[in-house]
Amino acid sequence: MENSILHLFPARYRAFWQRTAGEQKTLQEIRLRAGRPVILHSGGREHFLTAQGEPTGSLSQAYCAAERELEEILEHICHYSPYAFEEELRRGFVTVAGGHRVGVAGQAVLEPDGRIRTFKNISYLNVRVSHEVKGAADGVLPDMYGGGSLKSALIISPPGCGKTTLLRDLVRQISDGNVYGPGMTVGVVDERSELAGSFLGKAQNDMGIRTDVLDGCPKELGMLLLLRSMSPQVIAIDELGGDGELAALRQAAVCGCKVLATVHGEDRQDVEYRFGMAADLWERLFDRFLVLGRERGRYVVRQVRGKE
Amino acid sequence: MVRILGGCMIFAGCLGLGLWYRSQMTGRIRALLGLEHILELLASEVRYGRAALPECFSHIARGLQAPFGEAFLEIGRRMEENTGLTFGEVFREVVGEALGSLPLRETDREDFLRFALQTGYADAQMQLRAIEQSAELLKGTRERLERESAEKGRMAVGLGAMGGLFLILLLV
Repeated sequence: MENSILHLFPARYRAFWQRTAGEQKTLQEIRLRAGRPVILHSGGREHFLTAQGEPTGSLSQAYCAAERELEEILEHICHYSPYAFEEELRRGFVTVAGGHRVGVAGQAVLEPDGRIRTFKNISYLNVRVSHEVKGAADGVLPDMYGGGSLKSALIISPPGCGKTTLLRDLVRQISDGNVYGPGMTVGVVDERSELAGSFLGKAQNDMGIRTDVLDGCPKELGMLLLLRSMSPQVIAIDELGGDGELAALRQAAVCGCKVLATVHGEDRQDVEYRFGMAADLWERLFDRFLVLGRERGRYVVRQVRGKE
Repeated sequence: MVRILGGCMIFAGCLGLGLWYRSQMTGRIRALLGLEHILELLASEVRYGRAALPECFSHIARGLQAPFGEAFLEIGRRMEENTGLTFGEVFREVVGEALGSLPLRETDREDFLRFALQTGYADAQMQLRAIEQSAELLKGTRERLERESAEKGRMAVGLGAMGGLFLILLLV
């Protein structure tokens, strides 16, 4: 998968993207806008590409993507069958082989009831390059176990600090088994295909040998469905949102499952305030609270706390 | 004796030519019917399975015989390899080769391959319409041929036999 982002592009554009694909390890985002310069976010920096596909900081030398080019790339990503990705396009992104996510924006076509039916005249693509970091959870793994068993955990982090990467590696290590505990059956509800990076129902990232992934399903429904169908010992979800999801997590905990979840937030107080749920209710659900942040330009686990 | 044998051979040859023409016509009808059937299967896959086109072809390949079974699996394989070629390019190359072995006219082949150039619809109904348009063109040709085939077939065999007799009379 070294050059897997090259596969996003039709043959005629591959020579242009060859150099960029070679530096995939540090690449974070590719932003394509019709009639605007191609922008890359790589290694925490932003740069343009020349017409030959070489990186440049000069706007005057920057290559501008044509509208037709964006259409062709999207068609290629969708296997020349965008209708098969109707639901994904409606949600605004398509997950592709390799686990990368391609966000789309253009002119929304609405249903009579105001829901988005699809997009037309797609003029903006945002390729978010997936990076699977094996070993990302090594540092927190000892804290995840206590008394010989796995503990339920909530990972709290501001956007872009690596909570999904951490959860993905936790799931893998818990599923495969590690020095702190034997392998466990893990059920993952991957509503936005970010954790497993599923493509056509198959996980593109290594999620462990005992992991079942329910892709593209709303978390609230998916957790209950997995409980009924796959009897997981651990349930994992990314980006805890509404009250319904909390209720489903509670039900999973009542059924004896360990739960792993991530949530946007600065710290535990921030999360408690936003969800309007008292500390003791959180502690009934989770045994460990991991707070992520950024220190000296690096993403770190700032705090690991058990129940108060 | 040799003259009689020669006359018989001329007659058999001319009659055979007429029969061959008739068999080509019925073969073309059968081939068109087969192509319509493929497009029907494809439309069902799109309608009910909402699968991507290469995946649809891999699915329907299992129920098809040569030359299409293998050709459609090849489409699935080539698209999975992701060489960067468009679906239309891969489809025309692989299926164009398979169609070459059938008694079809160039227009029939073009009618069948037409839908592969009309991809990229975000709406399944639009993609279905493109497939159905190809199927309708093939159906139109087949129905016309079926109407004409009995008469033309009889005429071809009759002309073959008459032509044979004429040649025998001319040569003897």
